[in-house]
Amino acid sequence: MTPTTSSTPSSAPSAEATPAVTLVDTDVHPVMTPPMLMERLSARWRRHLERFGRRTPMITDIYPRARNAGMRADSWPDVPGGVPGSDPELARRQLLDEWNVEYAVLNGLNGQDCYDPPGFAAELNRAVNDWLWEEWMEPDGRWLGAIAVPHDYPDLAVEEIERRAGEKRWVQVIFPASTQEPLGSRKYWKIYEAAAAHGLPVAVHSGGYDTHFGAGWPSFYIEEHQAFSTVVQRQLVSLVCGAVFAAIPDLKIVMTEGGVAWSVALRWALDEAWSVLRDEVPELERAPSEYIRDHVWFTSQPVEEPDDPDDFLRTVAQGRLADRLMFATDYPHWDFDSPKQAMPPGLAKDTRARILAGNACDLYGLPLRDGSDPA
Amino acid sequence: MNAIARGAVDCDVHCAPASLDALAPHLDESWLGYVAEAGVALNGRAGGAYPPGVPAAPATYRELEDGLLGPSEPRHVVLNCLTLNEIHRNPYFSAAVARAINDWLRSEWLDRDERLRASLCVSALDMDAAVAEVERLGADPRFVQVLLPVRSDTPYGNVRYHPLYDAAVRHDLAIGLHAWGRPGNAPGLSGFAATYMEDYLANSQVVQTQLVSLVSEGVFDRFPELRVALIECGFTWLPSLLWRFDKDWKGVWREVPWVRERPSDYVRRHFRATTEPAQLPRAPGDRAALLDMVGVDMLMFASDHPHDHGRSGAALLEAIDAEAREAITWTTASAFYRCMQTV
Repeated sequence: MTPTTSSTPSSAPSAEATPAVTLVDTDVHPVMTPPMLMERLSARWRRHLERFGRRTPMITDIYPRARNAGMRADSWPDVPGGVPGSDPELARRQLLDEWNVEYAVLNGLNGQDCYDPPGFAAELNRAVNDWLWEEWMEPDGRWLGAIAVPHDYPDLAVEEIERRAGEKRWVQVIFPASTQEPLGSRKYWKIYEAAAAHGLPVAVHSGGYDTHFGAGWPSFYIEEHQAFSTVVQRQLVSLVCGAVFAAIPDLKIVMTEGGVAWSVALRWALDEAWSVLRDEVPELERAPSEYIRDHVWFTSQPVEEPDDPDDFLRTVAQGRLADRLMFATDYPHWDFDSPKQAMPPGLAKDTRARILAGNACDLYGLPLRDGSDPA
Repeated sequence: MNAIARGAVDCDVHCAPASLDALAPHLDESWLGYVAEAGVALNGRAGGAYPPGVPAAPATYRELEDGLLGPSEPRHVVLNCLTLNEIHRNPYFSAAVARAINDWLRSEWLDRDERLRASLCVSALDMDAAVAEVERLGADPRFVQVLLPVRSDTPYGNVRYHPLYDAAVRHDLAIGLHAWGRPGNAPGLSGFAATYMEDYLANSQVVQTQLVSLVSEGVFDRFPELRVALIECGFTWLPSLLWRFDKDWKGVWREVPWVRERPSDYVRRHFRATTEPAQLPRAPGDRAALLDMVGVDMLMFASDHPHDHGRSGAALLEAIDAEAREAITWTTASAFYRCMQTV
């Protein structure tokens, strides 16, 4: 990897500017139940759901989660039809209060599938965002929101970003990791441009609709869950080779729930391939690893756990991840990472503090200082 | 690299017939009629894997002698013919071409130089035919593995492939998964690559899913003797994959109760990877740390002649000590593949 000077598009790291915040959770999953969704849809799209439904099967039906149905066993709300993540009160108690989480980013995935008709996709994502605002964010200032957008209809996605961007507690735009076209495709650039113009990072979260694999359909959830990381590897290659970072210098990407350790070897592979194939991508003015260094953040959960914790420390050093890795719990999913135990032993104290809060504070501009923060 | 790898077992060397004419003596009348009628031609680029600007694989023994055998003086060479990575979907034609390639490999290559070994080509579209081909030629000691393209319609752990593994194990053949294959399938979940660089790097992601599939489906408990070579797909991705895989297995082993050991234990026992492309970091300290995490005993030297992947392959051999170099350049491969010179 070629060393670079750390000129990043983010504000400079400034641990002393954010003394108050010590724990930020960058990946929490609120879920709307079908009745909640129906309530917020227009008559036309309610009828669409009743008549046609959605032809893209739920990934949890393709690969049933063989661990408490994919959820923390204690996260089921005690109400008929309740599903984990549908009750803001329970989430507040189990996550924010229990662990003293000062801010938590709500990544709502209800609208992240592909292949919905455009009007439905737009209304669905708007409904998710309205629900998040009214039921979660407005009542409790610790919740921050990811703007859900109909990403496969970029004009409509930009409209949704414009609708929300004035409110500072929407801190990012969310994309699924599985998209109809690779993320480097020009199709998505106007979404990136709109996000960057508002200073909003784009989170790429594992999921979306899985249509076709390089090796074909696997059989098991354990394979699909492994693929969370290979899928984002390919998407990161696409973002780099598609020259998205070269074209949109203010774009920040947050790779979410796809792991992080792989990103080190991928930089080496990209740089090596670039040394032979750079003629093909003349838009890249610097080594691929430098674009990743400047534009890409990672959330921790499910963090890779080598037998030797020192291997993880080496990975953090090699990938210069100390100011790019952000803690996440993935509440309410089964593989919840606790802020007390998930980070490997041996991390330097300041690195640990940066991962648990400082990096998220720098990226998302926390604590919010414009008066919109009731916390 | 030639000097440093002298005496090596070179585990990935390419050859390919220049056209179907070269295979004609090994195809029967009906297939020759089909070829003529349908205007079928080989594109010579392994189904688009290698773009027109890349040197074509040697089509004759003489080309290989001039380009590699003379200058490098290898101990053994494993020939990988990727001609079957064609674009069509006809399983019967694919099986017929596989048989023809294998006969061509024997008469035009293996019979000419006792250092040569080859991968047995089989159709990935027809497992019955693939098994029959292993039965037909598996006794020829010059074939050391069964070749499959790393990109598949269904991952290789799937039960449909198990008869092939049974046949391979009975003949003491390894399985080789080589980069590319199955044109027409996108390299991942999110559509086609826009550049060669993306498509090329995608082999490293696809091979990870194959490794995960083979372990998760319990293939190595069914076939404890099975050995799998990962060819031209890199290896630097291995440590982080195993960290994640072992962790997931602890969480959801109930889904795959036949996976009785940690995934990394199966991987370290049953898999080896070839060294080209090496994709190493440039800093010597990072390089040493990486090789330590991968384990040099997982690696088998390959030149990938005639292809060029950058300078990492040579850098790898320069970065390691004499003992590790012996292991990577020939002793590991000699133990992994049957019928290799072992002293």
